[in-house]
Amino acid sequence: MWLLSVSLLLVWGCSSPNESNPEVSFTVPANFPEPVYPFERNPMTTAGVELGKALFNEPLLSRDNTFACAECHSQPYGFTHHGHDVSHGINNLMGTRNSLPLQNLAWESSFFWDGGVFDLDLVPIAPLTNEVELGENTKNVLDKLRATKKYPLLFKKAFGSEEITTERFLKAFSQFMLTLVSANSRYDQFIRNEGETLTADEQAGMKLFEQKCSSCHKGALFTDHSFRNNGLFIQGIKDVGRARVTELEKDKYTFRVPSLRNVAVTGPYMHDGRFYTLEAVLDHYAEGVQDTQNLDPLFRQNNIRGIALTSQERQQIVAFLKTLTDEEFLKNKRFAAE
Amino acid sequence: MKFHSFLFITFAFLISVLSSCTKENPSPVTAGDTNDIILEFDNRVGAQKLVLGETTYQTGTGESFTVSTFNYFISNVSLKKTDGSSIKFPNQYFLIRQVDNKTWEPVLKNVPAGDYQEVTFTIGVDSAKSVSPVAERTGVLDEGSYGEDGMYWGWNSGYIFLKLEGTSPAAPANGAGVRRFQFHVGGFGGMTGATVNNLRTVTLPFPQNQLATVRKNIAPTIHVITNLQKLFSDKTTVKIADTPAIHMPAAAVPLANNYVNMFTVDHTHND
Repeated sequence: MWLLSVSLLLVWGCSSPNESNPEVSFTVPANFPEPVYPFERNPMTTAGVELGKALFNEPLLSRDNTFACAECHSQPYGFTHHGHDVSHGINNLMGTRNSLPLQNLAWESSFFWDGGVFDLDLVPIAPLTNEVELGENTKNVLDKLRATKKYPLLFKKAFGSEEITTERFLKAFSQFMLTLVSANSRYDQFIRNEGETLTADEQAGMKLFEQKCSSCHKGALFTDHSFRNNGLFIQGIKDVGRARVTELEKDKYTFRVPSLRNVAVTGPYMHDGRFYTLEAVLDHYAEGVQDTQNLDPLFRQNNIRGIALTSQERQQIVAFLKTLTDEEFLKNKRFAAE
Repeated sequence: MKFHSFLFITFAFLISVLSSCTKENPSPVTAGDTNDIILEFDNRVGAQKLVLGETTYQTGTGESFTVSTFNYFISNVSLKKTDGSSIKFPNQYFLIRQVDNKTWEPVLKNVPAGDYQEVTFTIGVDSAKSVSPVAERTGVLDEGSYGEDGMYWGWNSGYIFLKLEGTSPAAPANGAGVRRFQFHVGGFGGMTGATVNNLRTVTLPFPQNQLATVRKNIAPTIHVITNLQKLFSDKTTVKIADTPAIHMPAAAVPLANNYVNMFTVDHTHND
């Protein structure tokens, strides 16, 4: 019980909240580390978060005014694009990568599968300007927002005046995205001794996970924030992963180690969504790891490629992974469009 | 008489024009005086004026091309006095866009009075600014100011330092039959690990007897010629046929190595 509800309230200074726009305190879950987002740069307020949420659901952000961010980042699926291996944007153009869940972003210092963006505030520019996603440019979007009745008022509520600038636009986005904290799965309640129990299989799966998976899918966030080659067969467009942005040989075929929170609802899996089930993912690690350039050394221990897992062990790990589903997060009305 | 007075007036006119251009002996420097210095960027292709659109130019290797867009960032300007001391202009970023003549002559404000013999600047947006918070990305660094003519990579956070786009018979035809080439140069060296750095700094001494003499009543113009032809052939020869689309830092290294030698100070005006 020692961890029970010891939520650390971080209230940030240097803001100008007022009675009509109260500051939002960011709560760090008891079993989480300190976040890395520099909140002092962008104090969260009720109206700021509301504006960010409106923008997240706003089709005006796309070139043809048909697509919002929420299209490929849908809440019931952990803010991913359900049923899509790679995401499509305007005009049915297809991307090359599977949309990542949006959760616990205050703990991330790089974004996207290749880590090409290093600041949460700069994240929205990427999908907004990508020709196969929203296909727009920021200037057009800001002009469209300025021409509405709604947005100048929302910007005024959030930032004190009707002026719509790139900085305010991006900061409001961050404020909303930062609220997307998932930390109340059955696993969390179990680990925080909040009265939840796990079945024998789930507990066995947790032990196996700790032994065999947690060196990369580490800690409360289930990621060590690194980029690794997990031995996928190099197929299709032969995506070079992080080397796409660093252009370094050592980064070829390495991709973000994603968090596994809500993983049961965020399929399909891998950067290109090639695996449709968690079982297929476990089969890959047990039997399918390929010896490609920069294969992570963790998959090459004791002369064995991959991770030794019996089929029972795979089932138990899958059972454990399902305890990471946070129903409250997936159904929280606070995150849903009005 | 009439003829003489005409000669006299002509002579007087010429004298006044010439002296206003050169001011051979500027007044002594008064401490505390300041004025502007104008950096005039005059984009050319070899010995020709750069005009966007139809005009056809030749690279050093004989590829012909037209230019639809030519933009570049200038930053971290510093000026060196004849006594060897320098004055810096940090946190000032200029985006020269050929399509907009209002951007061709950036102004350095509050330059202390003195005699200047050399200018140094960076082509691109330095790494500190490239990783700075959005609040510091104002003016020409505001990503939301570019519209269609983007100078920023959203997928690989960073500014496009120099952009040259146009058409060339040496480029392959696209679906619409247009033979387009695009050179986008960026790459500030990386946020967490060392990646390609295409930032280049140039130092340009002024020609002999062409000091920029800043005085209370003199705001000099430094006339810089930017020779686009150098982009294709200086240290490395760049052929449109080989690389018609450059959008990544590593592929752009030859262009960066060339653009470092693209600028010269032709002359100064002290008026």
